[in-house]
Amino acid sequence: MITPQVLNEWYPVAMASQIRAGQRRETQLLGIPVTVKMSDGAVAVHGESDSFPVMERFGHVWTCLGSPAHDLFAVPEADQPGRRLVDVGVVRVKCSPLRAVENFLDIAHFPFVHTDILGAEPHTEVNRYEVQIREGSDEVWATKVTFYQPQAAKSAEGGIVTQYMYRVPAPTVSVLYKTCPVMPDAWDVIGIFVQPLTEELCDVWPWMALFDDVTPEAELIAFQQMIFLQDRSILENQIPRLLPLDPGMEIPTQADLSSIAYRRWLKKRGLTYGAQMVAA
Amino acid sequence: MIRLHDYVLSASCYKVRLMAALLGVRLDLEAVDFHPGRAHKSLAFRQLNPAGTLPVMVVDDLVLTESTAMLVYLARLAGPEWLGPGTPQASAQVQQWLAFSGRLAASLGLARLHDMLLYTGDIEALRRDGHLALRELESALTECRFAGHDWLVGTAPTIADIACFPNVALSQDGGVTLDPYPAIRLWSRRVRSLDRFVEMPGIHRLHELRPAPAEA
Amino acid sequence: MTTRWIATGLSHDLPNGAVMAGQWQATELAVWRSATGKLAAWKDRCPHRGMRLSHGFVRGETLSCIYHGWVYGTDGGCKHIPAHPALTPPAAICAEGFACVEANGVLWLAPVGMAEDPPRLVDLRPVRTLSLTCDLATILGVEPALGGSDIIRGSVRIGGQDEEICLLVQPRPNGITFHALCSARADVVQVSRWLEALRRSAEEKVAA
Repeated sequence: MITPQVLNEWYPVAMASQIRAGQRRETQLLGIPVTVKMSDGAVAVHGESDSFPVMERFGHVWTCLGSPAHDLFAVPEADQPGRRLVDVGVVRVKCSPLRAVENFLDIAHFPFVHTDILGAEPHTEVNRYEVQIREGSDEVWATKVTFYQPQAAKSAEGGIVTQYMYRVPAPTVSVLYKTCPVMPDAWDVIGIFVQPLTEELCDVWPWMALFDDVTPEAELIAFQQMIFLQDRSILENQIPRLLPLDPGMEIPTQADLSSIAYRRWLKKRGLTYGAQMVAA
Repeated sequence: MIRLHDYVLSASCYKVRLMAALLGVRLDLEAVDFHPGRAHKSLAFRQLNPAGTLPVMVVDDLVLTESTAMLVYLARLAGPEWLGPGTPQASAQVQQWLAFSGRLAASLGLARLHDMLLYTGDIEALRRDGHLALRELESALTECRFAGHDWLVGTAPTIADIACFPNVALSQDGGVTLDPYPAIRLWSRRVRSLDRFVEMPGIHRLHELRPAPAEA
Repeated sequence: MTTRWIATGLSHDLPNGAVMAGQWQATELAVWRSATGKLAAWKDRCPHRGMRLSHGFVRGETLSCIYHGWVYGTDGGCKHIPAHPALTPPAAICAEGFACVEANGVLWLAPVGMAEDPPRLVDLRPVRTLSLTCDLATILGVEPALGGSDIIRGSVRIGGQDEEICLLVQPRPNGITFHALCSARADVVQVSRWLEALRRSAEEKVAA
């Protein structure tokens, strides 16, 4: 359901480098056709008769169909020297944009879906972690998340216990911070920017800000696409396609604290595009 | 050294990676930024393969750009039994399925690129052609069952099975369900159960092949 | 909607230790067989996060969801949650069951509590499952020797002989699926090819 809160959010609609290279992207946002292209030397986003505000950040073009209620969220690490910023490219998924974000927050599926990469039996236990809604920024955060991973990143050699932090800074965005295999004191930053085409269809733009001077860019992209495409076949087979906000529809456990917090956060703020409010 | 210019999400590249894994042949993988970079269309890459397609296999002076030819190369090199029984009939059948795998790529494969990576195409026509190809495969595998055989040619898996498997197993990525094809479902399961089988994204591990971990 | 048994597949297409997608009218189901051959059918939806259980995997006498590996016994109850290995799952976590029985090489589905048995099909053997994009009326128009609604039967000419054919109808969203049986003495290869010819004729009639 489109609410004023939904309309007033920022959403990704293109990779900035592709638009700047002269590509034109005909797409849709919240069911409304939009075009992203260069116009008078600047990136522009317009609909059939309106033009919409544009923000270029984190390698992507962002827009808002209503009146932006706030600035786009910050990722300070994006400006940190020494990090490589990698645009992973778009992947279309037949699912609710909210299901795509919720899956990104989930670690319990690693051994079964990302087998021998992000997880492996018998290391399936999810230890208790902390979840909070940060005041001021009004973001969902999960911290002190740990999980045993056979190959945590392209740069990882052998299994490690990886530490994670997750944040949801916008309804269709999640950013995670995870142990950087080559710099144990630093965090690798990986995000998914989800463009809601409709309530049941989304374009997902993974993005990374890593400490890794060695791995060729094509391999970094391939690694992240491999991970996300393993998720895609899950996301397209969840029933219903919409994310149920009715607590009776699905059964969470302690491992799902971040998803519980995310669902409550969406509901309380009226961010219900892609959500199912009452069991069908 | 066998170098494969590779893309992790390509069904044709996977065909070669899978065959090499089953044969225990090591490939030196060179990742190509197919998406979003379209590096396979760059001038530098087209110097290697003018068609601008993936995969490309390079062994010394030999440059192969057709995945089915790569299967023949790998099998001849490390496991000739994968070429089939070698009778005129069986050899022709293997060739028939290798060519048929091209039809799978041109229908199911393009439907997948359309649905997943936003390639243009007449999606309804691609899916319809995909179903027509799947019906042929289903009928052939059904007749294999009547004859008591598990594989497309002869009594053991061949490059014919490996050539056809990827685009079939990934068909759901392009919105084509395998539910109407029980013989294909069982054949796919047999391929996935082969010793040294490797997955690609969109084809999950058969976790049942390993016992459940002992409960805590 | 009348409550009745609907054929969802043939026994030989569901070996021990396998799971497949099934359907009872509009309800999508996961149908599976344990390592020792016990059948079960549930709504195709893990209670945890709605993932299709037909994508799951069978280990011994249990079916696990592919998403988070939740383990269900043949009674539908959740036995184990890998994220919490020490936890005994509450009894409330269970898959929603359907009745699934096997008779004459056919897998039948119905809501739990059906009083009568599925139809008896004597002297017939299973051939294959075949999906069509046309409706039943078109099939019956193309082959007038066949008749019926859920169970289509008739004696048809195959390879110069009169053969008894039985088609169990499973309605699908964009057409129908037949689970075909024939008399025990018939040549299954000939019957299978005859079924394909029937499908081709019927679908061509719709296209024209």
